[in-house]
Amino acid sequence: MTTLTRQDLNFGQVIADILCEFLEVAIHLILYVREVYPSGIFQKRKKYNVPVQMSCHPELNQYIQDTLHCVKPLIEKNDAEKVVVVIMDKEHHPVERFVFEISQPPLLSISSETLLSHVEQLLRAFILKISVCDAILNNNPPGCSFTVLVHTRDAATRNMEKVQVIKDFPWIVADEQEVHMQEPRLIPLKTMTSDIVKMQLYVEERAQKT
Amino acid sequence: DQARSDPTSASDKKVILLPCKNPPNRERVHLWLEARKQYECLQKWRREAGLL
Repeated sequence: MTTLTRQDLNFGQVIADILCEFLEVAIHLILYVREVYPSGIFQKRKKYNVPVQMSCHPELNQYIQDTLHCVKPLIEKNDAEKVVVVIMDKEHHPVERFVFEISQPPLLSISSETLLSHVEQLLRAFILKISVCDAILNNNPPGCSFTVLVHTRDAATRNMEKVQVIKDFPWIVADEQEVHMQEPRLIPLKTMTSDIVKMQLYVEERAQKT
Repeated sequence: DQARSDPTSASDKKVILLPCKNPPNRERVHLWLEARKQYECLQKWRREAGLL
């Protein structure tokens, strides 16, 4: 059994890889469950040993991959406080926000076995909660779109700029319109605490969607 | 590290970022889906007609 420590060069990278892989699955599933795109572009796959819906639209898939490719260096350095999938109405006002609040606790050492099996089990629960969240959310108005917000610090954005893809996929500071939501209803979905990462997912839903 | 520990530092200011580019819109994706269905129908017809 391999033991990893924070001092290991790849440790942050391992966590970022695990979380970005999870976020990719989660974003696809949110877009499917909340009907942002036609259901015909989604195909059933198996991730974390549970069935999920993943898009097969090349441009959309590339967009999600590019987004996460830019977010990864922030997660690697523990600089991404929140990753938020925002569903917006036709006027580009947020109607729903899926907030992934991430923190990495200080760690002395960890076994690779813990990394792979325990975390995967915890992430599976998030996927299952997302797949049934439509039952507790109100329907969205037609013609919605989405974006991904990342809450970070000004200094940390330098890590993002080092990524090659950023040149073709620039990021900007969000406007008030993209962030503000009137009277949001808060719906906690799932919380996980492991040796390597703490994460909670909640949805903020606009009271009046139409 | 000094900037990080000092909450008043300008470089430690919290920011919310988003990609400048937008994802493909629903209409565009819908058109792609229709085109793919038509292509698949055509391919099926070609196979059945022995053209492939």
